[in-house]
This record gives sequence, structure tokens and C-alpha cells, in this order.
Amino acid sequence: MNARILALIVAIVGMLVASGIPASNGRSAPLPSLSIISPTPNEVIGNGTPVAIVFAVMNFNLTEPGNATSSPNSGHVDVFVDDTLIAQTSVNTIVLPLPSGPHTIRLRLVTDNGSALNPDVNASVPVMVTRGPTGGTPGLSIVFPQEGALLGTDWTLSFRVTNFVLVPPGGPAGVPNEGHIVVRLDSASYAVLTDGAPLHLNLKDGPHTVTLQLVDNAGGPLSSNVTVSLHVTVHALLGRVTPFDATPYLALANLLIGLGILAAIYRKLEVQ
Amino acid sequence: MARSPKWSTPCAAALLGLTVLFGTFLLAVTSPSVAAAGPSLSILAPANDQVIGNGTPVILSFAVANFVLVQPGRVGQVANAGEGHVDLYVDGAYSRLLTRVEPVSLPLGPGPHTIRLQLVQDNGTPLSPDVSASVRIVASHGPAVGTPTLTIVSPRPGPTIAHDVYFAVEVTNFTLVDSTGQPNAPNEGHVQLFLNGVLNQEPRAYDLGFIVDMPDGNNTVTARLVNNDNTPLSPDVSASVTIRIQGAADPIGSEQVTGGVSLVLALILVVLLLRRRKAIARFSPERPARP
Repeated sequence: MNARILALIVAIVGMLVASGIPASNGRSAPLPSLSIISPTPNEVIGNGTPVAIVFAVMNFNLTEPGNATSSPNSGHVDVFVDDTLIAQTSVNTIVLPLPSGPHTIRLRLVTDNGSALNPDVNASVPVMVTRGPTGGTPGLSIVFPQEGALLGTDWTLSFRVTNFVLVPPGGPAGVPNEGHIVVRLDSASYAVLTDGAPLHLNLKDGPHTVTLQLVDNAGGPLSSNVTVSLHVTVHALLGRVTPFDATPYLALANLLIGLGILAAIYRKLEVQ
Repeated sequence: MARSPKWSTPCAAALLGLTVLFGTFLLAVTSPSVAAAGPSLSILAPANDQVIGNGTPVILSFAVANFVLVQPGRVGQVANAGEGHVDLYVDGAYSRLLTRVEPVSLPLGPGPHTIRLQLVQDNGTPLSPDVSASVRIVASHGPAVGTPTLTIVSPRPGPTIAHDVYFAVEVTNFTLVDSTGQPNAPNEGHVQLFLNGVLNQEPRAYDLGFIVDMPDGNNTVTARLVNNDNTPLSPDVSASVTIRIQGAADPIGSEQVTGGVSLVLALILVVLLLRRRKAIARFSPERPARP
């Protein structure tokens, strides 16, 4: 009897082993995974160019949304920017135009019917988008006038910006290589420049100091302060040719002669 | 019908079969088309050193042979030298993962760029030997061809009474952009305005130049096209205009009128004085009485 039971148990175990039930976990398909290859975390995408997101999946078949049966190992990728779903893709590269500022790009594997996998499979990367260049040190210089120049009342200040893009104030803070210019005239705020057009000034006679400073979108100075100053002297009608005009003197003479005539007439009457 | 005894024997049939097999073998060995060709990759467009003008994206077309493009990371996928995908690099930076042979649009900034494609296996490892192709291009906001020209359309040469003058230029085969330190690119740049040989300003792209408070007399303003780095084009492209700023109005007319009045008044005064002296002399007590 014991031998029969033992044989039965051995037979059952043998059948189980043969059927693969004890090893089912070890032989199940590996779980899908997702990783973002590009851009790298905190990468700066410059010149306002669209962001090319390259990702890799493992153990997952990418299929066009709506073209396949739902399966836990196939589907597509939902693309979120700052927690907002903005695209779906079934290829490993997607290009997104993004505005300036910090963004978080998150990808999530979903089945064909749009439901998330279980467990959820996603990957995210923070990036910084700027309309300015990605590298280089911002520079600012004054093209005209030259330091110490003697100028007329009206004049224009022409400047040059490098490795920096001028944009209107109010954009997101912390964006590299973009912002605007703060102009100070004799240490007082004078103007904000948001493009490269020359600045027209109309100043009183005397010495003046004009200071230009690159600032970020929030109005703060750059990490390495970029400032340039110009000292000029203003003199009205500089360069104007004014011919001598004797009219005022002649008019004064007329007045005096007229008085003389009146006096002569009066004295003549006295004599008579 | 009698069969030929030569072909009816088993030995002859076996010999014939062996001959056919041997011939087939020789054909298979010697035929070049059957030899296993390696994967290849070529860039169809753009051409090397091509200028991509007008700020348009670069449309990259390529061809792959003897290599199957597949999505990496599929379920149950095993690395295979005959299949994989294409990695795309722009100026050495990883840019795209391509699994389809179709044109790729690449928005690139101005200046020279190198685009490189590389075949890699599913696991991302390059093939051995490496299979890649690259192309150099130059991107520009300006037109790809043509000689730039510059004309000052306003003001016209001659006299003017204004000391503040707008300057308008017209350019052809050249695109004006604001300079921010970007690389040079063909037929792209900005305008510099010189007043009497001195750099006065760099107007914003497609803005008018505005030079104020110009001195009286002849003033020559020169407009010049320059590259993004402010260097002049080669050959130089510039245009000049000379305007004569007229000074204050000539006061001779008012001087003459006022001077004439002065003269008349002076004559009147002289006459009055003479008549007064005569009157004094006539009524003077020291004067002897007439007989």
C-alpha cells in the first residue's frame, strides 16, 4: 500500500515536472521595460529647436495605436510633457516643439487600448528648452558711440549681443542664454530692450553714463554679470553751422536811433 | 517503342544525376550573386557640402541593403548581425533612432553640420565591420545660390533739411537675421551703417536704419552686408549715399531790411539834429541884432 502511494506521488510529481507547472514563473516572458536614451537628464535644448526624444523598450512590441489586439507585451507609448498627454508614438523617436523653460518629459508604455501596463512602465527626463544657444558665454558690447564721445542732443546707441537671445520679459525663470537688457542712464532705470534695435536717446547737455546689463527672464543678473557702460558728453547743436546774424544788433540800433529821434524832436520843440 | 539501352540502365541514370548535382554545386559556388553580401548603408540626399537654404529643414534620405530594420526590444528578440536599426548623429550628438527607411526631417541651425548614420544591432552594438555613412552640409537662412546685392533706396542723394534721417536698404540673394553670435552661413547676415566712415549702427533685421543729429554739410552713409560674425562678405557688398544737410536759414534778408530801416532812422535823426542846431543858432542871445 505504501509503495503504491509512494509510486502515485512520484508519478504525480513527475507529471507536474513534465508539464512545467513548478517552473512556470521562471519561464514566463520578462517584463517590459522602457528607457529614454535622448535627451539626457537636464540637457539644454537650444535655439528653440524641437526636442527629439529617443527611447528604447525591451520585451515590448511597438504597434500603431488601434491596429493590434490588446496584449500586455505590445502597444504604444504615451508621451506626457509636464503631466499633459500630448502625443502617442509607436516608433522609437518622436520630435516635440516645446516652448522655453524647464519641462519634464514622461513616456509610458500602454497597451493598444490605451490602458497602462501592470505594473506601470514609464520613464521620464527633465530638460531645459531655450531660444538662446546651448553653450557659449553671453556677451554684450556697444558698437556706437565710442567711450568718451562728444555727442549732440539726439543720438542712437547701437549694441551687439552674442550667445544670448533677447526676448520680452516675463518668460520662465532660469532659462539659460535668453532674457533682455536693462538700460540705466546716470544710475537711474531708463529702458528695457527686448530686441537688437538701436536705442534712441535725447539728453541734456553735460556728461552722462549709460549702462547696459543682460538680465534673465525674471530680471535678475546672469550668473556671470554681463554689463557694459559708456561715458559720453552731450553738447547741443554739435556739428551745426550757425551763420552770424546781425539782425538783433541792427534792431537794437533802430531802437536807440528811434529814441534819439524822439529826443531831438522834443528838444526842438523846447527851443521853439 | 524501343528505349535506348544507354539511358535505360541504372548506372547511366545515376551518372546523369551526379553530373547535374555537380553542375549545380559548381554554379552555386562560382555565382557572385549567391555570395553573401554584407549590410550596406548609403545617404541619398543631401549631397556632400550641399547648402540647405532658406532656413528649411534638412531632408535626409538614405538606403539600407542586406539589413533588416526592426524595432529594438521586441519580445523574444535575439541580437542578430543581419537586423537592427539605424542610429543618427548630428555633429556627433545622438539624434534619432530609425527603424524605417523613410526621409527624416532635421531642423538645423545655420552653419556647417555633419550628419552620420550607423547601422547597429538590436542591442545597440555596431556591426563588425562598422557600417556607417556621413554627409557634410551647410544650413543657412539665406538662399542657397545667388550673389548678394545691396541698394540704398532711401534717402536719395542730395540736399535735405532734416538732421535725423531714416535709411532703407534693399537686399537680394541675402537674408537678414539678427546677430546673436551664431555661426556664419552663406548669404545670411545683417547690415551695418557707417556715417562718414565710422560704424554708427547695426539695424535689426529688416528694420530701417535711423541716424540722428547728423552734422551740417555733406554726409556719406555707407551700408554694408556682413556675416553673422560682423566680417564683411567676400567680395564686399556695400552701397553709399551722400546727402547734404542744410544748416540754419540764411539771415541776409532780415539783416538787409533791418539795416535799411536803421539807415532811414539815422538820416532822420541827423536832419533833426542839424535843424535843431540851426534853431539854436537863430535864437541865441549872443548873436548880434540885425541892423
